[in-house]
Amino acid sequence: MNIKPIVISFSLLLVGAGALADDDCDDPVAQWQPREHLRQKLEAEGWTVFRIKVDDGCYEVKGIDPDGYRMEAEYSPATFELMEMERDDDDDDDDHHHGKSRNYDSSSQAERPTHKGIVKGRPSVTVE
Amino acid sequence: MKKILFALGLATVMALPAYAQTRQVTFTTQLKDYGGDGAYLALYLTDADGKYQGTLWVSGKKSKYYKHLRDWARGSGLNQAEYDGLTGASVTSGRALKVTLELEDALIDSGHQVRVDTAVEDMRDNRADVVVPLTTEGSGKPVTGRGYVQSFVYDLK
Repeated sequence: MNIKPIVISFSLLLVGAGALADDDCDDPVAQWQPREHLRQKLEAEGWTVFRIKVDDGCYEVKGIDPDGYRMEAEYSPATFELMEMERDDDDDDDDHHHGKSRNYDSSSQAERPTHKGIVKGRPSVTVE
Repeated sequence: MKKILFALGLATVMALPAYAQTRQVTFTTQLKDYGGDGAYLALYLTDADGKYQGTLWVSGKKSKYYKHLRDWARGSGLNQAEYDGLTGASVTSGRALKVTLELEDALIDSGHQVRVDTAVEDMRDNRADVVVPLTTEGSGKPVTGRGYVQSFVYDLK
């Protein structure tokens, strides 16, 4: 049997997973710029910055971007290179759904059966 | 003929464990108005000594914060296979999380405990916010949490 394609796909999978898993910053601390500089840079671009904190070696910024969206962004502390950015209400703590019940029952996120563990099948989950 | 019967019997015996009795359980976790960002929660089972047995549900999308659900993180080793397919969005202050799932009968009335670890960004982490034995008797009886959990109840069907 020719196992080459299998080996190759598995290695690719592994490499892919490794690349995805790492969203940390690893700039040496000596090269970090003060977070005040990042604040000034962003405010010059039209941001309203609520706060900047260090998370996994990155500067994590919470604020409102020039388009008026609440954002959470991560920057490399040495170069201020953007590492990750997402709308804050993409996550969960959006206040727009008060009173509504949301159902994120699994169908989209967990087609795979949970083969390991104590739960049989997929849970049904609501937040009220 | 005998051979066929034997094969049939063997197949039945082998298939039986797959039909182990399960029971539907609904876990309801009502959060306090702690007034912070969305809370990360881990619902999991331990034995009577608090030793991790398995994950029921994890609220919170970013796995890099899962380490703050401290006891659960230690027990599960943050091994993705432990919580694959069992995660969803975090739960905002004042809201209630309702999780309904099928559990093996053998886990009920057998000294297992349900535990909930909670964490909120920039606020404190609560290991074992809730600890409650999983028993038929305890079904439908709310308990109070120590941290962000106002009340927790499970209902066995």
